[in-house]
Amino acid sequence: MSVEVTLPPLCRAKDVAEGQTLGCTVPGQRRKVIVMRHRGALHGWLDACPHYAGGTPMAWKKNEYLNGAGTHLTCHAHGALFDPETGECVAGACLGKRLTRVELRLETDGTVRLAKALEGGKTE
Amino acid sequence: MNIIGPDALVFGVDDIAACTEYLTEFGLKPIDVTDKGGFFEALDGTGVEIRHRDDPSLPTPLPTPTMLRQQVYGVQSTEDLDAIETELSKDRRVTRLADGSLETTDVFDFALKFQVTKRRELVMEAEKINAPGAPAGRAPNELGIYPGMPALPRTLSHTVLFVPDQQKGAEWYVERLGFVITDILVPAGPFLRPKANDDHHTLFFIQTPEYMKGIEHLAFHMGGPTELMVAGSRLARKGFQSFWGPGRHKFGSNWFWYFNSPLGTHFEYDADMDKHDDSWVARQAPMSPQGTQMFLFEWRKRWSPGPGPEGITEGEDTPE
Ligand SMILES: [Fe+2]
Repeated sequence: MSVEVTLPPLCRAKDVAEGQTLGCTVPGQRRKVIVMRHRGALHGWLDACPHYAGGTPMAWKKNEYLNGAGTHLTCHAHGALFDPETGECVAGACLGKRLTRVELRLETDGTVRLAKALEGGKTE
Repeated sequence: MNIIGPDALVFGVDDIAACTEYLTEFGLKPIDVTDKGGFFEALDGTGVEIRHRDDPSLPTPLPTPTMLRQQVYGVQSTEDLDAIETELSKDRRVTRLADGSLETTDVFDFALKFQVTKRRELVMEAEKINAPGAPAGRAPNELGIYPGMPALPRTLSHTVLFVPDQQKGAEWYVERLGFVITDILVPAGPFLRPKANDDHHTLFFIQTPEYMKGIEHLAFHMGGPTELMVAGSRLARKGFQSFWGPGRHKFGSNWFWYFNSPLGTHFEYDADMDKHDDSWVARQAPMSPQGTQMFLFEWRKRWSPGPGPEGITEGEDTPE
């Protein structure tokens, strides 16, 4: 029998409009989770640019993770661009690396949660 | 060649509105800024210019995602411009503009401009401190801090570039433009200062693959560590993303605090950097946490002990 663990809520689905991003804090975790709505679907990514080991925060301001045209997730440390569907770095400092996907679970009441606990990266 | 240091950095950006918000909140003053961009200046008139990346008035971009389009160096006099023109014309195109300034490119194709400096002379006090055994820095009843105290960038301090060959870069800036190497971080690269500036560095190279060529960060000098902490805390409290710091570097002794930005580079507040003259002998240290920093802190929302078990955490929009 598996133990049902309630994973922390990240945001409400309706709070993330098409082409927008939210930076969601996870209790006890050093890194936030980026929730993005892209072509209707919600994607979760760890807010950790793979340029440096361990990852560094990517926003330039709270919830601001996109380039000006809104076409790519962007690390605003050095301007690296990431495909919003695959997380692959297409230009910049982390070329050939990719963002870490975070599986999301959408509840019937519209709450977006982590589908499973984040590994590592705990608050130091 | 009496080069003083960077007067301005020019960027071709993809979000003028975001950059305008960012640069203004960072503490730079918008000068003739419209939805097409403009200039954002520190207290001495140095600063950052932004245009849309497709603006035809901008110099040619590098073939990488960097948004840096030109570094503008201030020199002391027109004789210095003549000397730079003579030297660099030996192996590259140097264009003389109507106002007498020069445009060219460096050994890595970074666009450069040289002009008689537009810096205004600053007459301001440094942070004043009291310490036992030393004369008081502040008069009786003169307070060290107060809510709303000014903490504005005073002058453009330095630029750090990702370059494909730091040795080649150091040689070019030393041999062609008279820069001096003050210290070296291994394997990243050298700290450089131009002849007419005694700051520990106005330029630093970090060697990276060619596809990363561009600007790593730029920094503005603050009036002291308290101003740096105050300015950075204000920025962080408004939701801007701290990247590294606050802390204090070993080489240069400068306090630092780096923030992400929508200009594809870090913006740094620095304070209290060492000064050097030509008698200084360059040191070497590894580019490591121990090699680069005396100490490092990380910003958090203010917290204080209180009557309850959890203490009191700062709320949103807490006044200073
Ligand atoms: Fe710096």
